[in-house]
Amino acid sequence: MNRHVLTSVLAVAFLFSVIVLASQEDGAHILWNRKGYTPEQPIAYSHRLHAGELQIDCQYCHFGADKSRHAGIPPASVCMNCHRFVQATLGAIRAEDELAKAEERDPVPVMSAEIQKVYTALALDGKAERDPDLDQSPIRWTKIHRVPDYVYFDHRPHVSVGLACQRCHGAIETMERVRQVEDLSMGWCVNCHRDVNATGVAGQEVDASIDCVACHY
Amino acid sequence: MSNKPASKPDGWGQRLPELPDGGAGAPLQKDLLNGVSRRHFMQATGFAFIGTMMLGCTAVSEEEALPYLEQPEGVIAGRSDLYATTCGGCSAGCGMLARSRDGRPVKLEGNPDHPLSHGGLCAVGQASLLGLYDSHRLRAPVMDGKASDWASVDVALGDRLRQLRSASGRVAWLGAPITSPNKRARVEEFLATFDNGRLVEASANSQMPIAEAHGLTHGVATVPRYHFDRAQVIVSVDADFLGTWISPVEFTAAWSSRRRGDALENGFSEHVQFESRMSVTGTKADLRLRIAPGERAAVLNQLVRHLSQHAHRSLRQIQDRPLTSVDDAQIAAIAARLWEHRDQALVVCGADDLAAQTLCNAANELLGAYGKCLDLAQPAHHAGSSETELSLLLDEIAAGRIDALFVDGLNPVLDLPAGAALAQRLDAMQLVVSFSPYEDETSAHADFICPDHHYLESWSDNDNITGLMSYTQPIVAPMGATRQLEESLSMWTTGAVVPVRDQVLASSGGDVRRFDKLLHDGFEMRDVRQNAGNFRPDGVHAASDPDASGLQLVLYSKVAIPSSAHAFNPWLHELPDPVTKSVWDNYASLSPATAERLSLQDGDVVRVALGQDAAVEVPVLIQPGQHDSAVAVALGYGSVLSRRFEGVGPGWIERKPTVGSDGLVGASATAVLAFEGGRRKFAGRSVTVEATGARRELARTQDYHSLDVPPHLAPEGGERRPNVQETTVAALMDPHFGEHAIEHHDGGNMWPVDHPYEGHHWGMVIDLTLCTGCSACVTSCQVENNVPVVGKDEVRRNREMHWLRIDRYFVDRDPATAGGDRSNGTGNGDVDVSHQPMMCHHCDNAPCETVCPVLATVHSDEGLNQQVYNRCVGTRYCMNNCPYKVRRFNWFEYAHEDEHENLAMNPDVTIRSRGIMEKCSFCAQRIQEAKIVARQQRRPVADGDIRMACQQSCAAQAISFGDMNDPESAVARARDSRRHFQVLAEIGVQPSVGYTSLVRNRPTDHEGPQHG
Amino acid sequence: MASEHVLQQRPLIEGNKTPGQVTADICRLLDGKPSGTWWAAFLASASLLGLGAVAIGYQIMTGIGVWGLNNTVGWAFDITNFVFWIGIGHAGTLISAVLFLFRQRWRTSVNRAAEAMTIFAVMCAGIFPLIHMGRPWFAYWMFPYINARGPLWINFRSPLVWDFFAIATYFTISLTFWYIGMVPDLATIRDRLKPGLRKNIMSFLALGWNGSYRTWLRYETVYMLLAGLATPLVISVHTIVSWDFATSVIPGWHTTIFPPYFVAGAVFSGMAMVLTLMLIARKTMHLEDYITKQHLGAMTKLMLFTGSLVGLAYGTEFFTAAYSGNKYEQFTFLNRAMGPFAWAYWTMVSCNVITPQLFWFKRVRENFLIVFILTIFVNIGMWFERFVIIVTSLHRDYLPASWADYSPSLVEIATLLGSFGLFLTLFLLFVRFVPVIAMGEVKGVLGIGRGSGHGS
Repeated sequence: MNRHVLTSVLAVAFLFSVIVLASQEDGAHILWNRKGYTPEQPIAYSHRLHAGELQIDCQYCHFGADKSRHAGIPPASVCMNCHRFVQATLGAIRAEDELAKAEERDPVPVMSAEIQKVYTALALDGKAERDPDLDQSPIRWTKIHRVPDYVYFDHRPHVSVGLACQRCHGAIETMERVRQVEDLSMGWCVNCHRDVNATGVAGQEVDASIDCVACHY
Repeated sequence: MSNKPASKPDGWGQRLPELPDGGAGAPLQKDLLNGVSRRHFMQATGFAFIGTMMLGCTAVSEEEALPYLEQPEGVIAGRSDLYATTCGGCSAGCGMLARSRDGRPVKLEGNPDHPLSHGGLCAVGQASLLGLYDSHRLRAPVMDGKASDWASVDVALGDRLRQLRSASGRVAWLGAPITSPNKRARVEEFLATFDNGRLVEASANSQMPIAEAHGLTHGVATVPRYHFDRAQVIVSVDADFLGTWISPVEFTAAWSSRRRGDALENGFSEHVQFESRMSVTGTKADLRLRIAPGERAAVLNQLVRHLSQHAHRSLRQIQDRPLTSVDDAQIAAIAARLWEHRDQALVVCGADDLAAQTLCNAANELLGAYGKCLDLAQPAHHAGSSETELSLLLDEIAAGRIDALFVDGLNPVLDLPAGAALAQRLDAMQLVVSFSPYEDETSAHADFICPDHHYLESWSDNDNITGLMSYTQPIVAPMGATRQLEESLSMWTTGAVVPVRDQVLASSGGDVRRFDKLLHDGFEMRDVRQNAGNFRPDGVHAASDPDASGLQLVLYSKVAIPSSAHAFNPWLHELPDPVTKSVWDNYASLSPATAERLSLQDGDVVRVALGQDAAVEVPVLIQPGQHDSAVAVALGYGSVLSRRFEGVGPGWIERKPTVGSDGLVGASATAVLAFEGGRRKFAGRSVTVEATGARRELARTQDYHSLDVPPHLAPEGGERRPNVQETTVAALMDPHFGEHAIEHHDGGNMWPVDHPYEGHHWGMVIDLTLCTGCSACVTSCQVENNVPVVGKDEVRRNREMHWLRIDRYFVDRDPATAGGDRSNGTGNGDVDVSHQPMMCHHCDNAPCETVCPVLATVHSDEGLNQQVYNRCVGTRYCMNNCPYKVRRFNWFEYAHEDEHENLAMNPDVTIRSRGIMEKCSFCAQRIQEAKIVARQQRRPVADGDIRMACQQSCAAQAISFGDMNDPESAVARARDSRRHFQVLAEIGVQPSVGYTSLVRNRPTDHEGPQHG
Repeated sequence: MASEHVLQQRPLIEGNKTPGQVTADICRLLDGKPSGTWWAAFLASASLLGLGAVAIGYQIMTGIGVWGLNNTVGWAFDITNFVFWIGIGHAGTLISAVLFLFRQRWRTSVNRAAEAMTIFAVMCAGIFPLIHMGRPWFAYWMFPYINARGPLWINFRSPLVWDFFAIATYFTISLTFWYIGMVPDLATIRDRLKPGLRKNIMSFLALGWNGSYRTWLRYETVYMLLAGLATPLVISVHTIVSWDFATSVIPGWHTTIFPPYFVAGAVFSGMAMVLTLMLIARKTMHLEDYITKQHLGAMTKLMLFTGSLVGLAYGTEFFTAAYSGNKYEQFTFLNRAMGPFAWAYWTMVSCNVITPQLFWFKRVRENFLIVFILTIFVNIGMWFERFVIIVTSLHRDYLPASWADYSPSLVEIATLLGSFGLFLTLFLLFVRFVPVIAMGEVKGVLGIGRGSGHGS
């Protein structure tokens, strides 16, 4: 009979814990908490290299950030601004030179496999000329930072008050492959809005609305 | 009570001895401690653990993102841009700004700079967006009933044309009036390649006689441009110029400029309406006189008679005796008013017979209105050909004397009389080519269907008004393999496709830089004038004695469905008619008295018969304020384009279909449209009306139609609800006006002000004087906010989803003549009509907010009543507790299956799923956008930055929105108006929406209309 | 000296039972195969329950649209049924707690059934707030739990939240009270059973009861305390339910007299339902000796009283409306009495105010058949009371343009029937497996111990 008692007690405890845990993970959260999500991308693009070492400004590629809701994924043509000329690592090129010298022939242009993917997508030949026989094919990136459809996040106000991209995206300049650093939950948004209203951003006062319509409409 | 002895005999307590220690409870505790094996404990906890784990792991769904490879200049994902173009919804040609988002148009707005529309855009224009994304549109040319491609069509058609040319076949072009010079040039070039090609332009409505009449009286067969903004006294004889007549948006804008109750110094026009049915224009008239459909010429005869006396000019065609039942003294008074303001007077006539039209011209001539209030030097171009030409062409077709017919922008088989016969002739013809984007009644009989672009995919120039050239540019690449008519024609004329952009560029003058500017502006003014002609008294036709006996037919076009070409559009079908509030149907309107006489109820299906065979079967709708002899039926219904609506609306066990037994929406009234003396007679033919015994329930968004509560339920002094307040110009003249207006003592607020609005405080004021009920705002709101279409049955169940509704109230002018069935508040006599747009009032003490258990509707710092869809659990408590009943509940999951139509959705507004409450959000997305932009430009949000979808579409500019905290804002000023009042302010909800009272230019006592 | 007063009364239980006989009589119902009538009744109510289940299933899959509601009338059958059942649930606590504290010893024969009824009624009531939601799968959002939304709590100002807690509390207390009251009888059953599953179950439920003095003492104390705890709930629950309407701005809802009015109504309907069921039980289960004219008398008087209170409330509403000078309020009540739903209003008045007046007559009070019929009327009337309050107030409120009609859909009706199905099914199971009459307590009011003293 006591087993009965114990079982029923535990059953109730279980139900309660389910409710509480459900609440932790509830609604949007259960689907969208993808903190740490680090999918493989079609091109092994390194933010560490471009944003970190080369110090390219975020908005050079993500030029939508101050103009639109979406920061946007850069079109392949943007890559070509540099990679028309930069086609492989210095190391690779030197190696080829060495080899060529050894084999007593003229070095052939080297193209790194990853950069080649951009050329292929744009249907460009080695000289970055459009190859009429080839078809262009879009680069299919995997989306990382996502919020539910009923959340309207807008990059513009965040960028325009001078909020560092890292505040939400983490130390992106150190990432070989991009990872979701924050959980992007409502609580996370709201608390940050509360904080900046108190502390301000970059030394300036801001008013970050915590009204529902700031994000939900 | 000691039950102890009583319990002994049962011998309880045998099992457990009484223990010295803790009594009976003790053993229980003991066991509890002993009984738990670790194993048992692990079992239970493990169970719980696994359970929670299961909750934890939900699959992460992969989602791809495909950026551009080469991003077009200026295109930025997620940002919308505006492009100027010209509305193709009807022939009025209003200026339009198309909002394009990620390469697709998502919203159409009026172009504020455009000289015709001044930023207004009617419901039809708003809804025309859906035509672009219509999945039923033909996506390729059709040859002999089979889908084909342009190359083979051009070849096959080329041969046929060559034969025709060599055999000098008789070729006719039957199309809608052409308002594009370039298109006209192409058509004429094309027809010129035949020995006897002829062009007949016909409109489906009754506007063609206006041009003819001017041909007779002034020698220039054209539709003049009307300037209602210059008219102090307007007399309209059956011209619904605020609703459907010629160019409603332009006219509403102009008319409203002289109806501003807070600027009486600019003059406040007097508006007299003679009409037999109740039109939108009639609802706004200061004086509305009901006449029999056949009496229109006769009324004008009386009017001209009095005017000619004033002017001391006699016209021999004028008959000296009054021909109508209308009180001659009253018409005399009206004539006197006209004469007093003869330099600012205008008489317009919507009649289909030349007598009435010519008499109307005579009246304007006598008043000297030409060159002032109406203009023949810069006329409009929707004239088309004459009714006579049309009927001649049809006769020849019937006689088989036409070999080839080209049909464009018209659906003759459905829109013109004797369609069935015509259809047969089409089959017999050598060649029939249709440019219709649909497989409709006519194109079904065509050898070739060469679908034209949607106007949002087209290049064109439009001179709807002489001296004004509006341009049409494509907002999106063609959705299918359609080809613009002009290109097709150039192909068939010259043998090569001349790109239509080049054509338009050429006709604009060929200067590319200038062309770019034109496209940017959307229009240009040119100083072109025509010969205005001179008045020829002989041109005036005499009015014959009206036969006012029996019932007379009135065929009209609805505001929502101006022609059968729009029958595909669910937004327009679901738009409540401004006057009847009915959706998804056409019907026979009868006056309450007539309905009583024929003992007919709303929804009884009647057979409206013209002689023996011609008849249409439609349900009855009892319409207060209609003339007792009139039977009004709307044209444009019963089109095959509406067959698609079989499945519209949610499916469930008690669902009733939206379409009729024939699978169509409404019935085609052209069955009772016929030629009489070579002209289509839309109104005035006597008909018989008899009940068929069947019933077809009408779906109306309003069940009760009066401000007066049913008499037998009226408490003392509470007979009339005060939510619409009226006044007269005379009353406004009194400087003390408003001091003793109805007191709205909202008994103060019991609580200290706990939410002051330091920043913005959004509010809206709507001018009931200016609101014509045209409902452009309703559709605009629907498009902007992704409001679903729910179908007839749901509307009938009072479950329409429109966030913005327009309450329309009839009030009996003279309760004595009320009579009739008052249970739904409608009377027999003359009625006053008021329109009251009603949407969420964003109350500062919102009753809905306190009752929501989950905080799904809460107040923002800026006074918005926020509805958070994703938090709503759908208790509907807020809906019940809303005194305005403006909350809308998603009773079902409403369909969003049509991939194409979904492209018309506004990406900035959440699509609501079932079980969720929604309502007007004050276009929160627009407020957010404006605030973000302002913030980026480091400036405060300025008045006018934010424009609500409804406000933007309003041609009368009746709606002002803005920050009530900014004393300079338009809304703040409107709230200071003497006429300002708030609905239900007395219950202390402190709404953020207000109204300014409805002003009628009418003496408080009963003389003729009087000066403002 | 309550006991002396009691002594002068006619015995509450007829036929000079000995405690043994009582046990025999009551337990007889639990042993052996159920009768044909029981099976018939059970099948009938079970199929009703099934019908309701189907209806609810369909509604949850398709949407609230399968009800007859519209943009103007957002609540109708759902909340009507909810309030109705909560009202039914009132008699239980009243009889068991309040009457207990007032030493109304006649309660002993009916309190067990009444409490059971309470619990089942509250179960039925509980269904409706749940299924009336557009998204019932989020019902747990009503619960103030720790969350990751910033956090986002519930709206403690919303009467619906108050409801949620009030009803939860009421249900828990009633259940505990019922169970505790049952423990001695369960023990009795336990002891009469042969070893086996049933005996084990009963032993578990009897919590090791041994009719010792101490056991009884503790039992009495707990019972008394629980009674004290339960009493305020009798008032609170329906008061809070009435606030759903009283706190709104809708004419006909926004009324200060709702709390007492609702409580009176609830007791009224509760009593009616108890009588309806007990009279059936009495006939079918041969409890004539336990449910006597005295019980009828007491309960019908209570109904007469509460019924008249309700009548008074109806009158007061009209007076308030007339006196307030509020035109909307005045219209609402004229519309109730003479508008499209006048039929519902007059059904309500005649069932709740007029017919109960017959209880003034002793002959009526003591005629089992007539009382039975009248209680049926009251049940109907009280359902219509809620319908009238909810629907007539909503369908024509402030703006004439949004006035609308309402008529229930098939699904709605099926759901109502379903709730009755659930109620009856549970009640039938109850009479089958639990002593319908609190033996332990009845034994306390037997004739014995009186006869022995001064000759009666």
